[in-house]
Amino acid sequence: MTMSSTLNIQNLTVSLRSGLPLLGQVNLTLEPGEVRALVGESGAGKSMIGKAVLGTLPPAARVSGGQIFLRGQALDRLNAAQRRHCVAQSAALIPQDPLTALNPVRRIAPQITDPLTRIHGWSTERAQARALDLLERVEIRDPARVMRSYPHELSGGMRQRILIAAAFAPSPPLIVADEPTTALDVTVQKQILKLIRELQKEVGTAVLFVTHDMGVVAKISQKVSVLFQGRVMEDATTEAIFTNPTHPYTRALIAATPSYADPSRSFSPVPAELIAQMKSEIAKEEVW
Amino acid sequence: MFLRTVLSRLLTTLVTLFGVAVVVFVLVRVAPGNPIAMMLPPGASEDDIAQLTALYGFDKSLVEQFFIWIGGVVQGDFGTSITLRQPVSDLVLARLPATLELSFFALLIAVAIGGVAAVIGARRRGSPTEAAVDLTSGAVLSIPDFLWGLLFVLLFGVLWPVLSISGRLDPRLEFDFLTNFVALEGLLRGRFDVAGSAFSHMLMPALSLALPLAALIAQLLKQNLKEVLIQDYTTLSRVRGFSETQVILRDAMRNAALPTLTLVGVQFTFLIGGTVIVERLFAYGGLGNMAIDAVINRDLPLIQGIVLLFAALFVAINMLVDLSYTLLNPRLRHG
Repeated sequence: MTMSSTLNIQNLTVSLRSGLPLLGQVNLTLEPGEVRALVGESGAGKSMIGKAVLGTLPPAARVSGGQIFLRGQALDRLNAAQRRHCVAQSAALIPQDPLTALNPVRRIAPQITDPLTRIHGWSTERAQARALDLLERVEIRDPARVMRSYPHELSGGMRQRILIAAAFAPSPPLIVADEPTTALDVTVQKQILKLIRELQKEVGTAVLFVTHDMGVVAKISQKVSVLFQGRVMEDATTEAIFTNPTHPYTRALIAATPSYADPSRSFSPVPAELIAQMKSEIAKEEVW
Repeated sequence: MFLRTVLSRLLTTLVTLFGVAVVVFVLVRVAPGNPIAMMLPPGASEDDIAQLTALYGFDKSLVEQFFIWIGGVVQGDFGTSITLRQPVSDLVLARLPATLELSFFALLIAVAIGGVAAVIGARRRGSPTEAAVDLTSGAVLSIPDFLWGLLFVLLFGVLWPVLSISGRLDPRLEFDFLTNFVALEGLLRGRFDVAGSAFSHMLMPALSLALPLAALIAQLLKQNLKEVLIQDYTTLSRVRGFSETQVILRDAMRNAALPTLTLVGVQFTFLIGGTVIVERLFAYGGLGNMAIDAVINRDLPLIQGIVLLFAALFVAINMLVDLSYTLLNPRLRHG
């Protein structure tokens, strides 16, 4: 909880304009170069945390309490333009669906270099060289040709690698990776995870990694926040989560993960009684 | 593959124009009103009538007449105007530049006004500003072009006479024109007094034609922009630090322009149709004005010529729209 944290979220509450809470009293920190996984089922609010940080909450939702410090800067003290500037300088996003995250009518090159030249003030040559370098780094063959291509000429896996290169290009202190492998098939998933981890180490970027896949958590993160209905159920190191999970929900999530290495190993869904019990506990806490 | 597309397109065009030729030829002949009777003084003898009828070939059968006419058209001979006694092709081509200048000036105004309104509306989506754009464009759209024309005549011709309400040019200006593109030639040859006079004469008729189209562009482009502005790539641009206006102009505009373009192409042909009445209203020397005279005088060859030219113009515009659609959309450009 020091000023040196890349990201520090305190008591963050996000609710719909109708008042329905989406996130309740979320606390988490991310130190420089650290990878934190946000896990939970669909609708647990994992993506919502990243969106609140980046300022891309849907129009129906808003931050209704708590504070977000991005590299020590309290985001709620900034006006819209300052906030946009602050986020752009400190953070980047690897989106969930590579098929919709590239502009279909523009070539790849400007989609990587434009933010570098126009927002970060780089020279065209420097941005161009950085883009080529990173495309090579994410194992894209013939990067010069790919830079001239349109998105529809490239596969989903290639587009996700381009988006990863684009996210790392300005060497941001923070990257929000919003289920970056969900839309890809399993073989490509592994490559993508490996690339994110390697680049993260190289650049020294802290990553907020949103996923519902405990297998991915084990591979990539040092810290884990387990979410259920917009609440953090457990916050611990990845090692502790897998060796000694304290919350029954965490244990249930781990038990619900199928093993690719040993498909015969049985896995069980999260028990309905546990979910019902947690829901009633949350309902009791809620002050209406 | 490309050659086949072009060939099939050309064939469709020819069939379309032939169809238009047949329809207009038959229509002007079954419509009431006899051109021969219009030409002769009252009480002309049967002999005179028969002679003149034979001279213009109206004594032959409809099918025969049609093939004589279309045979000439294929060779570039559209016949001779009955009232003006000049080749139809000369008359029509002399008027075409006036109508083209007016229509494209109107299109330019419509795209400018409609585009700016759409961007403002999309930028302030969900706010009273957007509601104001919707309301204004709805109101503007509900008034047809000729009513706008009458309103402008009343406002800027009568109540506050700042604009000229008739003609294409101040007759006192002396200029040796090479073409009939008055405004364009004035601009290109550096005679800005001529160009200025031409544009001030065109302003009211062009605005009358443009306003309904501008309103339509505002509504449609704004809707398309809003749909693009929830796409992931625009979210990514915002995260990267681009302002909403930058996101609209750099990311959203080209994507939103594509579906808008098709409709604007169709509506532009309607705008050209509107020139017939608006040119009349402002005594503007274009094709539309000539068309009304031709209909009043039952000048059959001239009517046919004008209608065929309008049809060719519409086909050309549709081709241009298709072409620009392909140019704007990389997904259609290859393969």
